[in-house]
This record gives sequence, C-alpha cells and structure tokens, in this order.
Amino acid sequence: MDLGLYVHLPFCRSKCPYCDFNSYPLPEKQIIKNYMHALYKEINIYSKKYKDILLKSIYFGGGTPTVLSGFAIYNLLKYCRNHFETTNPIEITIEANPGTIDRKKIEILFQSGINRLSLGGQSFNDTILKRIGRIHSSEDIIRSYFQAREAGFCNINLDIMYALPDQSLEDLQTTLCKAVDLRPEHISIYGLTISPGTKFYLDAQKNLLNLPFEDIEFEMFQWAINYLKKNYYEHYEISNFALPEKRSVHNQIYWNNLPYLGIGAGAFSYINGYRYGNIKKPDDYIQSLSKGKLPIEQGERLSLKKKMSETIILWLRTKEGVNYEKFYQRFKIKLHPLFGRQIEELKKSKLIDEDSCSFRLSEKGIFLANKVFEEFIV
Amino acid sequence: MTKEDDFTNNIRNFSIIAHIDHGKSTIADRLLEYTGTISERDKREQVLDDMELEREKGITIKSKAVRMQYRAKNKQNYILNLIDTPGHVDFSYEVSRSLSACEGALLVVDATQGVQAQTIANVSLAFKNELKIVPIINKIDLKTSDPEKVIKELFAISELKLKTEEVILASAKENIGTCEILEAIVERIPPPEGSPDNPLKALIFDSVYNPYKGTIVYVRIVDGSVKPDTSIITMSNQKKYEVNEVGIFHPQMKSTKKLSAGEVGYIIAGFKDIKDVRVGDTITNMSNPAQNSLPGYKKVTPLVFCSIYPIDNKEYGNLKMALEKLKLNDSSLFTEPESSQALGFGFRCGFLGLLHLEIIQERLEREYDINLIATTPSVMYRITTKNNEILNVSNPSSYPSKMEIEKVEEPYVKLIIISPSKYIGGIMELLQNRRGQFKNMEYLDEKRAKLDYQIPLSEIILDFYDKLKSKSSGYASLDYEICGYMASDLQKVEIMVNHNIVDALSFIIHSDKAYSRGRKIVEKLKEIIPRQMYEVPIQATIESRIIARETIKALKKDVIAKCYGGDITRKRKLLEKQKAGKKRMKKLGKVEIPQEAFLGILKIE
Repeated sequence: MDLGLYVHLPFCRSKCPYCDFNSYPLPEKQIIKNYMHALYKEINIYSKKYKDILLKSIYFGGGTPTVLSGFAIYNLLKYCRNHFETTNPIEITIEANPGTIDRKKIEILFQSGINRLSLGGQSFNDTILKRIGRIHSSEDIIRSYFQAREAGFCNINLDIMYALPDQSLEDLQTTLCKAVDLRPEHISIYGLTISPGTKFYLDAQKNLLNLPFEDIEFEMFQWAINYLKKNYYEHYEISNFALPEKRSVHNQIYWNNLPYLGIGAGAFSYINGYRYGNIKKPDDYIQSLSKGKLPIEQGERLSLKKKMSETIILWLRTKEGVNYEKFYQRFKIKLHPLFGRQIEELKKSKLIDEDSCSFRLSEKGIFLANKVFEEFIV
Repeated sequence: MTKEDDFTNNIRNFSIIAHIDHGKSTIADRLLEYTGTISERDKREQVLDDMELEREKGITIKSKAVRMQYRAKNKQNYILNLIDTPGHVDFSYEVSRSLSACEGALLVVDATQGVQAQTIANVSLAFKNELKIVPIINKIDLKTSDPEKVIKELFAISELKLKTEEVILASAKENIGTCEILEAIVERIPPPEGSPDNPLKALIFDSVYNPYKGTIVYVRIVDGSVKPDTSIITMSNQKKYEVNEVGIFHPQMKSTKKLSAGEVGYIIAGFKDIKDVRVGDTITNMSNPAQNSLPGYKKVTPLVFCSIYPIDNKEYGNLKMALEKLKLNDSSLFTEPESSQALGFGFRCGFLGLLHLEIIQERLEREYDINLIATTPSVMYRITTKNNEILNVSNPSSYPSKMEIEKVEEPYVKLIIISPSKYIGGIMELLQNRRGQFKNMEYLDEKRAKLDYQIPLSEIILDFYDKLKSKSSGYASLDYEICGYMASDLQKVEIMVNHNIVDALSFIIHSDKAYSRGRKIVEKLKEIIPRQMYEVPIQATIESRIIARETIKALKKDVIAKCYGGDITRKRKLLEKQKAGKKRMKKLGKVEIPQEAFLGILKIE
C-alpha cells in the first residue's frame, strides 16, 4: 500500500493571530516527551496493523516542528524509517519557522535525512511580520535560507502570504521580488483567510484589521501568478509554484486524492476509502495511546459519489485538471454522463478550459475556483 | 306550560369577550372545571384551544362552543352554553356572529392593564347585538392590580351603563370569583327567547371539517327544532341537505335526539363544501321554512392579499394540496392560482388580516413542511379606468399603467387606539406618517386617552402594530374596522434586478412615499443578494422611469487557498453548505436571490 506519511507536531513558540491549525503554545518538557512517546506508539501500532505500507513521502508539519530539538526530530524520523518501508529516493519535508532554527539545528535536520525544507517566511516586511504575530524578522528568513543551503538542502519551499492587514500591492510586490531573488525551488502563496475562532476573526468583526479591499486582493494574486510564471515557476496548484521537477511529492498525494497516513494530534488519514481524524488535544491524544488505543476521533467512509466529487475538486486545483481517461481508470465510470451539463455551463461562463482529454480551471476560473467546485458537489 | 318551555328558561348562552391576554381562556377553564365539564384528569391550560398554534400564541383562532351543567344556588339546574370567540381584530366578523348566538357576554378586563382598544370594540359589538354584559375584573391577585381604576375606566364607556355593584372581581389563576361569575350568568343573562314551536331558524356561527364526518356546522337554534332525517336549507344560497346527526359539545361532540330553540350544538348534514355553509347564514326547515333569515349575514371578504410561492417549484403540488386542506376549515381563506415570471407557479391568497396571513403561512411551513416565499402584503385597490371600467386590483402585477387610470381608490379603516397619554405625541406622529386623519381624542381618565383616526388599511398591514407597541413601550392597543373606499394618489413601483423586472417585488404605494421606499428597497436588496460573477444593477422604477439604483459589484475572488490532508473533508463540507444555501434561493435570470430578499422588503422602515 503506497502512502504519504504526515506527522503532526502541534507546538509553537506562540500562536499567530490568524492561525486556525491544531497548534498549542509550547508546554513543559515532560509533556513534549510524552507526546513524542505517543507518536512512537502510534507508528508502532500502524506498522503492525498494515504490514504492506510503502511510504512515498514523509512530511513533518505543525505547529512548528522545529521547536523540537534537532535530535528529537532525528530520532523520530529514524523510528519512522525503521517501522515502514520507503521508496528510494523519498521526499522528506519539514516545516520550519525562521525564528526557531539555527545553523546547528539545520545541519542535524539535513543529516537526519530530511531533504526538503519548507520555510514559513510569509513576508519580507518587518512591520507586517509583526502585525501578523510572527516571531521572526525578514533578516531571519534570509539567514535561515542560506544556512539551509550551506547545510546541503537543495529543495526549499518558501511560504508567502498576501491580503494581510495594512498590506498594499506594492508591498506584496517587494516581498515577492525578494523571495524570487533567493531562487527557492518552491513557493507557496496563500491569501489570508480569516477563520472563526482566531484572534483575527474577532478583530475583523470589530473592523480593526484594515484588510485590503477585494479588488486589491485580486490584483495581488494576479500579479503574483504572472510574476512567478515570468520567473519560470510553474503554477501547478492554485496556491503552489515550483521550478521544473520540484513539485511537492507529498502534497500532490492530497491533490490526487490518494491515500495518506497521519500521525499525531489532530492529524488526518485517508486509507481504504475511509477518512478520519485523530483526537485534537495533545493531552487526550497522549492518554489514548498510553492505553494502547488508536486516538481516532471522527471519521467518514466516503461513498463513491463523494469520492468522485472530491477527486474532481482536488484535481481541479492542479494545473492538469481533470483528465477523462484518468477518471475512468480510477472509478470505471465515464465522467461526461455525470457532469456533462455542469462542464458545458462552466465552459460557457469561461471558468474552465476544455480539450479532448481533460478540463481545468481557466485563468479566470482560478480566482473563482469555489464557484467551479460547487458545481461538482453532489 | 310544557316541560320543554321550562327547559328553555334554564338555558343561558353567553360568550367571553376580552382584549388579548386579559385572561379569557383561563376564565373559561375555571368555569369548565367548576361545573365538572372537564375532569381533573383532562385538565390542561386553554382547554378550548386545540390548535397547536392557538396554544403557542395564546390566542383563539376558531370559534368553539361548550355546554356546561350547573346547579345554581336557587337549587335549579341550568344549561350554560359558552361560545368561545376568536380574540383578534382580524376575526371580528366571526366574533360578531358568535355574539349574535348569545344573550349575554362576560367582559373580562385585566386589573393591571385596564380598558384596551379591543375592550371598547368588543363592548360596542356586544351592545349592537343587545347582549347583557357581565363585567369582570380579572387578575386581582397581582400586586400591580388596580381594580378601582379599572372600574373608573369602565364607567367612561357609556354604552356599558355600568353599576359598580355589578362588577365581579376575580382571579382566574387563583380561582377567585368563579362561583360569582356562574351565579351572575344565571341571574343576569336572560334565557333565550325563541320558541320550539316556530319554524326552524338556526344561526351558523362556525364550521369545521372532519375527515370522517364531513363538514360540521356549529349552530345556535333560535327558533324551532332540528333532528336527524329532516330536510333543511341554508337560506342565503337555498341549498338543500338531509340531516344525519345533531348534538352538543360536552366538551367533545355528543349526539342527541334533537336540538331545540335556545340550544347550541352542531349539525352534520352531508355539507359537501365548506363554502356552502357560511358563517352568519340561517338554516331552516324544508317543509316548514321560516319567512326571514336571521339578520346580520354578510359574505366575508378578504382584506389583505399576498402571493405565496414554493421556493422549490416541485413543491407546487404540495402547496396546492395544503391550501385546500386549510380551506376546509377556514372559509375566509381565499386562494387563486397565479404564476409569476420570477417565482413560477403559486397562489394569490386573500386573508382577513395580517394575523390571519401569518397564521396560514406558519401552518403551511410547519404542518406541511413547505418552504415558502410570500410577497409583500397588499390591499384591494379599486381602479376606475379611462373607459369607465372598474377593476379590483390587489396584485401589483395586474395594476394598469397610469395612462389608463382615471381614478384609484383604496380601503380605509376606522382605527381606535388607547394608550397612556404620555405616548400620544409619538403615536400621533406615527399615524401622521402613515397618512392617518385625526378624528377625535378623548381621555378615559387622567392618564389614558383614546384616539380615533381614519387611515388607509394599506398603512397598517405591514409593521404598524410593532411600531405602535414600540412607540408606547407596549402599552397602546388598537382595533379597527373597514369604513369604505377613498380616492388616493397611488403608484406602482417596480424593481429590476440585472435589468429584469422581478414582478414579485413590485408594490403599490402612495406617490409621496414611492421614492424613499424604492430607494430603501434597492439598498436592502444590495445587502441581501449575494455577489455574482458579474456586476448586477438593482433599480427601482415608476412607469419605466428609474428612481433609484444600486450596483452589486462583481465577485472577483472566491477561492479556498489551502487544501491539504485534514482540510479536504472540511472544505468539502463548506462547499456542501454553500450549495445547500443556494437551494433556498430563487434563480431569476442569471441571478440567485435569497428568500430573505422577498421577506426583507417587509421589514423596511
């Protein structure tokens, strides 16, 4: 069974005001120890439950995985590789916050076998970094970036955010120019989403955020797409850009709606048509595993209809879009009788482009992707 | 003297009249308990209100009757027939019919709130029907009660010719005064006058539909008697029926051998259509018919109109069936199939008033589970065209163009408002804004005043009641009756969304208000209609002239930025929710308009 492995490390130095991920402020050392121990246990259980797992990628996400010591990560990765078969070569990514790594830690990460670093840079404007609650400066990003290069990383992603409070189009342009000047192999660019339950959500309700107007947000995204393309980054997913051959193996598993295993508090898995999430709170997660029980909290067995509609939506996020032959191979059903009407309508409103073997979001459709996705919800 | 005459002498027919919430149903409950008509076991609040909505809203919607047996202090046995009447101004015709089936009325006034507009309206109705009125001041157990003051207020109602010693102080909640009330019914209310030997005259005061027995009419026998297997006719339309069953309410229906003069009961006679047995009509005997029918019958005409459409066109059949079922029990509900460009197939409906409209709408949604769009309520306008034709128009979509109109008239009502005098200023301002014409003001006592106004019905059917309540901190009460048609300067305003006229949003309004209302509606629609992928203009027009415009900007960006492992389920559910929301919208041309857009119009200042 081919899988991507996701490992969730939910702790952060401090919670960013826009973040709605399953993350928590750094607890005392003993709890982190217990958490790591629980991760080991969970890996152990899965390795016994499924004997035929073959990992195609490993991804350490968070939270901020790099708040852990280099050795803790080293040991964790080693434990994974001891318990699961992996392809060779295998993409192993870790998310890193520029404020939480130094030369030494980066070297350990590289030596442990991690070969892809995803840096949460977000912006090169220090005022904005502060405004959105980041604990690092733009200088930290650049320093971490070069330290990673020196340590040997030859696959680096840089996360950039736009539509941030007080941000102007010019500001995003400056940030992107600086990002591209570094020539990372991969750039993810995310529009700020105001999610319920975050501090920004409350601030937005009180009108305290000074967010750019939608027109500006639109221009920002449009400018970013054009600029990155001009600099030879391939726009291969709505929010993701890569130099040739440098797409993220792990994330493409998600966009292909292929199976993955998630380990850690709140992590999601999709195995054998069953998608489920782990218990979110680290304490409860630890407790469940201390009793030897898988910490599964909520799950859904996907009907064929839902599988098809999810797959179409996820494929539509990618440059390749929905390939009719590929669809037929996966579901043994032809797509046109199911969604022919929707496809025609979307073509008419110029939200998708179609040729004889596939259809995908048009230039206009990328900006209104939700309108397209909605049509494939059943 | 025969035994039967004796029997008539010991009948008392009465109803209870009161302003809403003054305790009518609770007093009825106490009387039923005291006379043993309902056992301890069947006890519940508002015994007579069995519709779910009636209990919930604490109001009576349909008339009911119940027969009680009472052994009075004079050692004689009496039959007391209580006819419970709807308590709302919308149903005042039913109230007046029910009252004409009685010889007396208990007038209930809340000791904390005193005389209210409906108290006065009810007294004058009872007075017109020559009823003996027994005044009762209820809720005297409450700390804030002030019976003295209420008595003073009652004195001010000249029709009442009140004597202080006649007032019964009661608390239905604490069961105080129940016995006094029963004695007063026996002593003060006269027995019925008719004779069982005269030709049959039975007054229909209500009717209900029963799936097993067909239509059942509630009657008061004024003269003569009726028993099964006789032929009867309804006098207004000369329709003939064979009586199957007669009976009384005890409180459930109980068949008897016959019903005689003075009695209240029911008749089942194969009435096919509820429309054929009209409230207020007289039933007589085929073989020995009465010469004249009982006075006061009139055809009920709806006053307030609106169109009702299912959100999902597939539900048209269900809506049709539901309306037919409701009409079985409600002869005052008027419906007519209609189609709208914007909303598809639906019904134009006529109601007795806004409460009636709300009740029907709520029952359709609740009991029949149909998602509805109801258009702005309107009244019936009378239009004289240039070729001297007279058109009755309630629906803006059939309103002719100005070129063809010679004259427009609209219905006016006589409005009574009673309020603490300190709120009178604000209320008069409200009335003036609503085109009310001042007629009279008088003080009931040093703190409360009564206002008489003449006002277009269209001005009080929307949100007038809420406004009145808020202007008076909830203290003012109102009552009204139709007083005729008067000429008016009216205009039809149409609303265009994306250059298409949305017929269901059109409305008829006084010229002075057309501009500001058009402006407000356009602004409101801009808020309500979700953004589309292109710019959508919203315009208000009069005779194709644009009077207001707003533009909904095009939606430029709507995209989920991140979609990784755990997000997939979450984002799919989000999209599912959005899609479900869309199902509650009407697609007009290319634009999706939410249900609130049609309802929201009502809530505009």
